[in-house]
Amino acid sequence: MTPDKTKALSADPTHAMEKDIAFKVEDLNVYYGEKQALKKIKVDIPTHSVTAIIGPSGCGKSTFLRCLNRMNELLPNFRIEGEIIFDGQNIYDKNVDVIDVRQRIGMVFQKPNPFPKSIYENVAYGLRIQGIKKRDLLDNIVEMSLKKAAIWDEVKDRLAHPALALSGGQQQRLCIARALAVEPEVLLLDEPTSAIDPIATGRIEELLRELVKSYTIVMVTHNMQQAARVSGSTAYFLLGELIEFDETSKIFTNPGDRRTEDYITGRFG
Amino acid sequence: MQNRQAMRTRKWNQWRDRLFSLLGLSVTTLGVVVLLALLVDVFMDGFARLDFDFLTHFPSRRPERAGIYAAWVGTLWIAVLTAAMAFPIGVAAATYLEEYARKNWLTDLIEINIANLAGVPSIIYGLLGLGIFVRWMDLERSILAGGMTLALLVLPIVILSSRESLRTVPSSIREASYALGASKWQTIRNQVLPAAMPGILTGAILAISRALGETAPLITIGALTYVAFLPKNPIGSEFPFFNLDGLMDPFSVLPIQIFNWVSRPQKGFAINAAAAIIVLLFITFVMNGIAVYLRHRSQKKVRW
Repeated sequence: MTPDKTKALSADPTHAMEKDIAFKVEDLNVYYGEKQALKKIKVDIPTHSVTAIIGPSGCGKSTFLRCLNRMNELLPNFRIEGEIIFDGQNIYDKNVDVIDVRQRIGMVFQKPNPFPKSIYENVAYGLRIQGIKKRDLLDNIVEMSLKKAAIWDEVKDRLAHPALALSGGQQQRLCIARALAVEPEVLLLDEPTSAIDPIATGRIEELLRELVKSYTIVMVTHNMQQAARVSGSTAYFLLGELIEFDETSKIFTNPGDRRTEDYITGRFG
Repeated sequence: MQNRQAMRTRKWNQWRDRLFSLLGLSVTTLGVVVLLALLVDVFMDGFARLDFDFLTHFPSRRPERAGIYAAWVGTLWIAVLTAAMAFPIGVAAATYLEEYARKNWLTDLIEINIANLAGVPSIIYGLLGLGIFVRWMDLERSILAGGMTLALLVLPIVILSSRESLRTVPSSIREASYALGASKWQTIRNQVLPAAMPGILTGAILAISRALGETAPLITIGALTYVAFLPKNPIGSEFPFFNLDGLMDPFSVLPIQIFNWVSRPQKGFAINAAAAIIVLLFITFVMNGIAVYLRHRSQKKVRW
């Protein structure tokens, strides 16, 4: 699966220059009914790096994140203009299969949301819906995914136990394992640590630093220290606009926009 | 001055609290006492009459030889048939309305109609059954016609309770499934329906147990009050080991048998009626018990 995609990417000369860019977002406008949630967003999100999206509540961070794997479509009255180029193709093109998009671009949510099933079945779900039934293959991928999400040692003896019996932090790492099981190229995280305690948060940040070696990660966060700790680049959103996008070190030490500085120094937000 | 005013208000509020809880207690007691009195009365009259013969004898002119064999077998047939028709149709309709249908004036209209249908008197469904199933479809006074009529009767209730249950499945579960690349149907089939199933079953069982107490619609479509035979046994000894010929046989059910006996002058039939009521109550309680158990289990098992 994965080798094919990398080949397709590098074999296509027109996109050779973009191979370090995961998402090329062009003039993105998003509306919920009459209300415009995102205005003229233009940004290139790099591969194999953690991109943090920060900004005050209601600024459109989550909306933007959910545009990247077409999760917004589930909402009524949602409308989008512009392009999001991923792997040389606009993911909103008519001939693009949304299921393919979501398999290649995984997502982890704010509140841990494991299925009310066993730990094993949670991780295997994404494979089962693809029609994979072979037990040893499933076993293999489940183990690999749980290992990648750094939760294998804690659950290996109770894979058949209900996932909802795990602690919040464990549930969130399980959700990451579940997302990794379908072998995505990108991981989108929507405030993944806002519902769990500081120690569990530390473990997840550590995990993200590990995962970024093989995945592109885009993360919405309310916690600016977290953005500073784990991300390579940071995007600052305000009232549906992208105010500034740059390397995290620059955003936090020498922001180019007054509004970014105001937010980061805690003058509002 | 102000302090005294506050004290008086507080006293008055306390008194009012006590008054209301007393009122509530007495009203509740009244309800329970009336129900208990009814139960005790029925049990005193009928319990001694309950024996194996009562369950395995057909009705008779002589009360001491009469039994409810045909009636409880008929009730069983009707229950299974009603469930087999109302459950899949109801759940499918609820799933469509809740998960697929666009919100527009048409679905609003359907919604209002279903809510209204749930409140239509059961005898109206009897007339509908008589017109459509008995006469137009020419099913006569068969078990099939009876089951279909009762299925129509409980369908709105099954749809409403199923929708209610589907609505309680949190959107985070749906999102988790979609985010892994599941299609809409996969999400509904693998996550939403299983999560909603205990609630759906509870609603369906309660609806069917209500249907088993219905008399009016079945009398309207012409269910018999005197049946001295059973519908053809659905389980056969030869391949394919079952047959559905019994569906076309005439039938009676417990409430009709009770109704028939109660309207007779002899004391013996009144006792028989009481005994049959105990059997009907038992069936209803067992079904409600299953519903309560399912709800309880689902509450314990799943916490979002």
